[in-house]
Amino acid sequence: MTGRKVKNGVMGGLVAASALLLIAVLAVIVWHIFISGVRYLNWDFFTKAPTPMGESGGVFNAIVGTFLITLVAAAIGTPFGMFAGIYVSEHRGQRFADIVRLCADALQGVPSIVIGIFGYTFLVARFRSYSALSASIALAFMFVPTTARVTEEVLNLVPSGLKEAAYALGARRSSVVWNVSIKTAAAGITSGLLTSMARIAGETAPLLFTAFGSRYIEWNMLRPMSALPLQIYIYASSPYPVLQQQAWSAAFVLVLLILLLQYGAKHLIARVLRVKA
Amino acid sequence: MVAQPSRSDRRELVRERAFTAAGVTAAVALVTTILLFLFELFITSRSSRAAFGWSFLWRSEWNPVTEKFGALPMIVGTLVTGFGALLISTPFALGIAIFLADYAGKRAAEPIKYLISLLGGLPSVIFGLWGLFVLVPLVSKFEVWFGKLVGSEALVASGTTGVGLLAAILLLGIMILPFSASLILESLLVVPTELKEGALALGATKWDTIQNVELPYVHKSTVGALVLSLGRALGETMAVTMVIGNGMKMPTSLFDPANTLASAIANQFLEATSPVYIASLIQLGLILFVISIIINIAARVILRRGVQQ
Repeated sequence: MTGRKVKNGVMGGLVAASALLLIAVLAVIVWHIFISGVRYLNWDFFTKAPTPMGESGGVFNAIVGTFLITLVAAAIGTPFGMFAGIYVSEHRGQRFADIVRLCADALQGVPSIVIGIFGYTFLVARFRSYSALSASIALAFMFVPTTARVTEEVLNLVPSGLKEAAYALGARRSSVVWNVSIKTAAAGITSGLLTSMARIAGETAPLLFTAFGSRYIEWNMLRPMSALPLQIYIYASSPYPVLQQQAWSAAFVLVLLILLLQYGAKHLIARVLRVKA
Repeated sequence: MVAQPSRSDRRELVRERAFTAAGVTAAVALVTTILLFLFELFITSRSSRAAFGWSFLWRSEWNPVTEKFGALPMIVGTLVTGFGALLISTPFALGIAIFLADYAGKRAAEPIKYLISLLGGLPSVIFGLWGLFVLVPLVSKFEVWFGKLVGSEALVASGTTGVGLLAAILLLGIMILPFSASLILESLLVVPTELKEGALALGATKWDTIQNVELPYVHKSTVGALVLSLGRALGETMAVTMVIGNGMKMPTSLFDPANTLASAIANQFLEATSPVYIASLIQLGLILFVISIIINIAARVILRRGVQQ
């Protein structure tokens, strides 16, 4: 009898300890990024391209690159992802829709380096040049499955009574989906898009052999371009302490950007839940 | 007089058709993507298969100079780091999920869940940076200490680097923790309250209930969650690439520098010049792709069965 009680207490302590450990690990990582990242931040860091010796320059080229590459990837991926999500949600329970959902799930699990090497053979090798656009297309392959799944899940939450009312008024499927389902689910879908963008903004491996990186501030999507994750990787692997410090600062900026996108997503989700309640 | 469809009717019909076509196109495109990946990677890696055939899978020599390529060291590296990470993170993942489902009140659970999603959302390269500059020096110290303990001069000498399998396992363990914890939590939350209350009413302690009612109820979906996490760990690229040391030889101890399938590609692809070298690296990517598709589909099937029971 007491043995059970002791075990109960011990196990309770253990599960609480594992939760504490998780918090501790996160705190340590965030602390390092913050402390090492903030120390070397200055105005030049945000506004200048790297100088040849890497002493006084910044990562403006990478910030521009991350925005351009991520936005173009999202622009390419959004229609595919949303329509695939609409298709699966509208054909719930049908065999092909199930297969599409399974494929989306499987694609979400494809390692990022495989996406990168595919981007290289499919685009870079074919057109014989590294380019930011090929990086965007590679990232779009990661963006589509997540967007499709989120769109489907959010659309499934739309009350069927609403849609049935629209059908009863003689509306066609396209206008029911556009004017009723999408409108009802707009905040949720937007939130999903932001989450997916936060994910691809931090990806490095798909960019290694596509965007390749560049020391210059580049606006042309058909040329090699840098991005924050790429810059972090390159600087972290360099033997120069100055560049390693810049890697931490770039990491800080990247995490801030991702948190901002995620915060936006969470805020929107909270609004959806409030409307529902 | 035949009634002509009005202009707005026709426009609506066109819109309806375009809408249907767009949905079908996107759905078909999604399915075709998997085939496109398979096809593309298969075609571009054929010169590696022409040179080595099936023996690519079990040859342990990876030598860019003599252009002899075998994937075994990378396959071993991938399996050791993947299963190692799963082994060290699973107890904690279970603990966290159980804590959140049964012990923490809503007030404590919500912020912790938020922290978990925060940790899970950090990019791989950030973990790599942290691993390289914080974790690897710690591993190095441990390696020297351990080397002195067992009296191995080689370990003490190699301990100056700290990069290798062990660093990769520890970092991967941290990285998949939020993922597996939140998946397990999801399945714990669907255990019917009546079952738990029934056990408690019979005089079972909280832990008795968890051990004998909850965990048996979710064991299938927990396995599914762990398989999914394993898939994540096997394909994780940047963080592993930065701490595993790009070793080309077959690793013989946990402290050895090694490579996974993913890290070998990331480390070597841009340096690869000869066609056979490039094709062999793409072949590694093809192996990784096939493994990840199989694992992901298997995990989804297990998870679905777990939910249906």
